[in-house]
Amino acid sequence: MRSHWLGVAVASSLVALGLAACGSDASGGSGGGITISIWEGYTGAEAKAFAHLVSVYDKAHPGTTVTSLFVNNDSSLQKVLTAVRGGSPPDIAYLYGSWAPNVAQIPQVVNLTNVVRRPGVNWPDFWVGERDVATVNGRVIGIPALVDNLAVVYNKALFAQAHLQPPSPGWTWQQFVSDAARLTSPARKQFGTAYVTPGSEDTVWHWEALLWEAGGQILAPGNKRAAFDSPAGLKALTTLRDMAVTDHSMYLDPTDNAYTNLFNSGKVGMLVTGPWDLSAFPNVHYGVQIMPSFPGTSGGHQTISGPDNWVIFNNGAAHTAAAERFLLWLTAPAQVKYFSLATGDLPIRRSVETAPGFLTAMNKALPGVDTFISNLGNVRQARPQTPDYPKVSQILGNMIVSVLLGKSQPQAALAGAAQQVNQALASSNG
Amino acid sequence: MAAPAALLRRRGTEPAPARARGRRAGVPEQFTGWAFVTPGAAIILLFGAVPIVWSAVMSFQRNNLLSGSTPYVGLRNYRALVHDPLVIQAVAHTLVYTALFVPGTMVAGLFLAVAMNRKIRFISLYRTAAYATMAISTISEAIVFIWLFDPSYGVVNYLFSLLGIPQQQFLNNPSEALYVIVIMTIWGWTGFAVVIYLAALQGVPQALLDAAAVDGASSWTTFRRVTVPLLSPASLFLAVWLTINAMQLFDEVYLSTQGGPLNSTTVLVYYLYDQAFQNFNFGYASAIAYFLFLIILVVTAVQFRVGRRFTHYRS
Repeated sequence: MRSHWLGVAVASSLVALGLAACGSDASGGSGGGITISIWEGYTGAEAKAFAHLVSVYDKAHPGTTVTSLFVNNDSSLQKVLTAVRGGSPPDIAYLYGSWAPNVAQIPQVVNLTNVVRRPGVNWPDFWVGERDVATVNGRVIGIPALVDNLAVVYNKALFAQAHLQPPSPGWTWQQFVSDAARLTSPARKQFGTAYVTPGSEDTVWHWEALLWEAGGQILAPGNKRAAFDSPAGLKALTTLRDMAVTDHSMYLDPTDNAYTNLFNSGKVGMLVTGPWDLSAFPNVHYGVQIMPSFPGTSGGHQTISGPDNWVIFNNGAAHTAAAERFLLWLTAPAQVKYFSLATGDLPIRRSVETAPGFLTAMNKALPGVDTFISNLGNVRQARPQTPDYPKVSQILGNMIVSVLLGKSQPQAALAGAAQQVNQALASSNG
Repeated sequence: MAAPAALLRRRGTEPAPARARGRRAGVPEQFTGWAFVTPGAAIILLFGAVPIVWSAVMSFQRNNLLSGSTPYVGLRNYRALVHDPLVIQAVAHTLVYTALFVPGTMVAGLFLAVAMNRKIRFISLYRTAAYATMAISTISEAIVFIWLFDPSYGVVNYLFSLLGIPQQQFLNNPSEALYVIVIMTIWGWTGFAVVIYLAALQGVPQALLDAAAVDGASSWTTFRRVTVPLLSPASLFLAVWLTINAMQLFDEVYLSTQGGPLNSTTVLVYYLYDQAFQNFNFGYASAIAYFLFLIILVVTAVQFRVGRRFTHYRS
């Protein structure tokens, strides 16, 4: 009896060790065919549409099986890093575009520069903002997976109540500020607009859109010095301060999740936000308009975009080739069109936008999304593609929040932040 | 303790020869024991000890986990840490938070436990309700508190307006945000303290309380001089346990303020996360983790040393 139990105990410990050691065996590839693994963070309609596309691909390509694993987008890079270190990365992972400069440092990331030049891929068909974010130092490290941008969503009823004309495509920030003031009513606890103030990148990129519209730049060419401490930077920061501090027409949301509920409850007149929020506003009759401009500058009505990438990790030539084939198929116009119509996500290719009936169908599913789609043409540049961007972003986040909370003056805040950014960039090894 | 063994012997059971037989069978008993323990130990080693050792190694490297190069930089990460103003701020925030959260939770827990240590109608309902705060997910808790403390729409400011207290900015104010998080977490952890204190209260012998009453002690005196000293082992446990948890505060900060506004709620673990997963400074983040470990070690040692003087164990 004793030795029997001993055997069970030893065996179970071996099993436990074996299980722990294996982790995930993603490579597969049984029976002559090949299995490629994808990590993605789709939920709801996106998950359904993606699963459909994968099943279509599997049926059409008998030698290849595509398996997908749900990984929360926010934590996908840390999981991918662990898997890379463990020697078993997925063949393809969905990764945020803001990580691209850091992702490019991973040796296992496959260089796609020549892949996107293949005939039939039509790389320029992807929006310039997407291509910029997929490219690090001239090397293409990803294929666009998602694109969005910022525009102004406004409450039509509140505009009518305040006897205001709805914003027109040629509007200016001066109009935005005065509309916000008119839409504000302390008695009704109503605000003209809202701004997210956790000091994270969400705080920062809203301001960066204003900076670009005022004709400014975040960093000087070469990404070694700050360029935002400029008349344009001052204009952008002062515009926000006027609403937050002087007019009190701006609701400050330190949590980054209260503002959608407030807009949906008719408490906020205008929001600068992206298409992902539209489905959160079923209770208000809203309109969408492109970003305002600063007259007299070269910036125009440009906006900012936060595209994400599909990144391929090297698990041998056969896997890489299969992964490339799948991604090129997935991001071909027909599949992009299907995915957008099924999910309401903006099309990642320009040609899809002009397909007959496409915009009407999109707008039926998600009112106002057509403005976000045409607004993709207003994306002229990407944020600096440097591994130091997270540091820059944190400094800018504190600068913006300190001004909006009335803790510092715009000019002093800009100068202080520029000095910190220059220091951080100088001491960086990256 | 001696009685059962004597009883056994009187019934004629002879444990000693049985043990001898086991030894003769050739497999040492301790080997069997180890075999049973191995699966659990292996998993703990793999997922606990390996990361602990690995992060110790990383704390002496410049390591972003991305590129293959991980040069050793000696104590550079630790030296940088001492000169990093944000680390100093984060330590201050962590200590202030701990100093408020631990006593706050213990007092609230003791108060509720005493209130519920009686036979009244629906008592199990009240006890369940008190413990429910532990069962509620942190994300729901954070969302509810965000709205309670919303400067424009929150219930707290509404009550303040009824009482004539000036309106506060709460999470929007760098000098108030940390205190909102203190209140949020005290609410979340009070249920835990209640359960510990309730259990300890049931262990207070009625005879001692009766004796105090006979001696003419008021109920307040009885509580202070008899009950509280008898609860001291539970109090020491709670103080140590809550302190260790408080020093590792992360969830509530991540969910409500993300360290802001203006770093006013950046505690050490949040800063560590920020360095590791936003800035990819895994070496530096590991050094911060070991620095935090050191702080917790020292604080806990002090707590045990000081606590021993005030703790009464009944034997």
